[in-house]
Amino acid sequence: MKQFVLGALIAVGAVAHAQLPVPALYDEWRRVTLDGVVTRVAWANPRAYVFVDVREPGGPVSNWAIEIGNPLDLEQRGWLRTTVRAGDSVSVEAVPARDNAKRALLSTFWKTSPRARVFSGSAATAKAAPTAAGPAPRWPDGQVRLGPPAGRKGYWGAASLTTMTESASKISVRADGLLANLSDADRVAPFQPWARAVYLHRQRTLLRDDPAARCLPTGGPRQFHTPNGFQFVEQRDLGRILVLFGGANRNWRIIYTDGRPLGQAAEAVPSYYGSSVGRWEKDALVVESVGYNERFWMTNGGLPHTEALRLVERFSRPDLNTLRYEVTVDDPRTYTRPWRSEWTVRWVPDREIEEFFCEENVESTFIR
Amino acid sequence: MRTRTFVLAAAFVVFTASTRAQEGHPLTGTWAGDWGPAGAQRTHITMVMNWDGKAVTGVINPGPDAISLTAVSVDWGTWTVRIDAKGVAAEGRMEDIGSSHRRIVGTWSQGGAKGDFTLTRD
Repeated sequence: MKQFVLGALIAVGAVAHAQLPVPALYDEWRRVTLDGVVTRVAWANPRAYVFVDVREPGGPVSNWAIEIGNPLDLEQRGWLRTTVRAGDSVSVEAVPARDNAKRALLSTFWKTSPRARVFSGSAATAKAAPTAAGPAPRWPDGQVRLGPPAGRKGYWGAASLTTMTESASKISVRADGLLANLSDADRVAPFQPWARAVYLHRQRTLLRDDPAARCLPTGGPRQFHTPNGFQFVEQRDLGRILVLFGGANRNWRIIYTDGRPLGQAAEAVPSYYGSSVGRWEKDALVVESVGYNERFWMTNGGLPHTEALRLVERFSRPDLNTLRYEVTVDDPRTYTRPWRSEWTVRWVPDREIEEFFCEENVESTFIR
Repeated sequence: MRTRTFVLAAAFVVFTASTRAQEGHPLTGTWAGDWGPAGAQRTHITMVMNWDGKAVTGVINPGPDAISLTAVSVDWGTWTVRIDAKGVAAEGRMEDIGSSHRRIVGTWSQGGAKGDFTLTRD
């Protein structure tokens, strides 16, 4: 049963970015069953809510805010804006808030008249079956295209990993970046002592200080496993590639491919996405970046870095539906040696990235 | 003139408030606070610290009367910070670690006098 609840937490937590991170907000080891009548459906990014009047034991009625997940994610799983309406009688199994507020995170949702299951945690974790893979698309000169095939639509969607650890590490990490066992911290990355202490502090405090929860950009490798996808726009005539991000704050990043030098980190204006130059090595785009600021976590588990961070990223596309992302992290002020990680990202064919903004319901008055 | 000054001051506050986030080495940055033997006898402190990958360097009260830090060490198990400079020895515990406005609170010795201190990262 705990696994069931955990699955729901991971499914929703992976897409939530405003307010407190999900693990800090909800107590995953408890559950509540709520029977009542829907009073309002708030279909907003990044977290949609259904508000339900529930009669408490003894008679009083409380209005519960049930967080149901990200609307884009819900739509892809068949829960549309009109699926549940004010006045519907419902039964909800949910994970209550840690502060005992009348707020909970959905795990199972039933309409009761007539009885029909709308959503369950197991359904939330189900992914669409991948489409048959064709060869990687190419430009007329034979170079691999990182974007859609000519005349088609699509973008890069779900990543095979949503947190980052050293490639050789086989450790249990939740999708939201929390370690199953804190004693595995030394296997996450080759930390300097201060970085290990900071990482453990972030883990022990359930990632509550994550800048992404305040809608700050998700720079570094994190940008390639942030929900809601990304897209490459290859402007070959301009010698640059734009990377458009559908998650976090719909930002973009520029990778220059016009042969310019990378420059020195100390001379760069520190930024969330750094300064990047790329070159093609056969079918792989190799990108070097410096000039990062220290205002973000480069992955969702709370890995720290300094302005000395230098990333080498390698993007390759072994087939139409697969992007392989490999990254080497070199930050001698934070880690004792360079280290690497990698994951793959799945192509979402024939669709455009949908609109998503982080801050739509970030205000504290949204719930009450 | 007074209105213009106010607007500029307000703009500065808004600007600096939006640029303070810092998620790197916990000591890196500018810290401000005071020390003294009692509540009424406080001496302002500005301290700038920087992590170069091997050591924390920095100064107390940057400017013509700056005092260079000679040693800074941290017990990462307890978040206890030890700061030494010419004529100054301070030891305190880091608090509110996850905030960019984290604090160091402890005891300060300087020129034969002792007192408590609080530093808050700007």
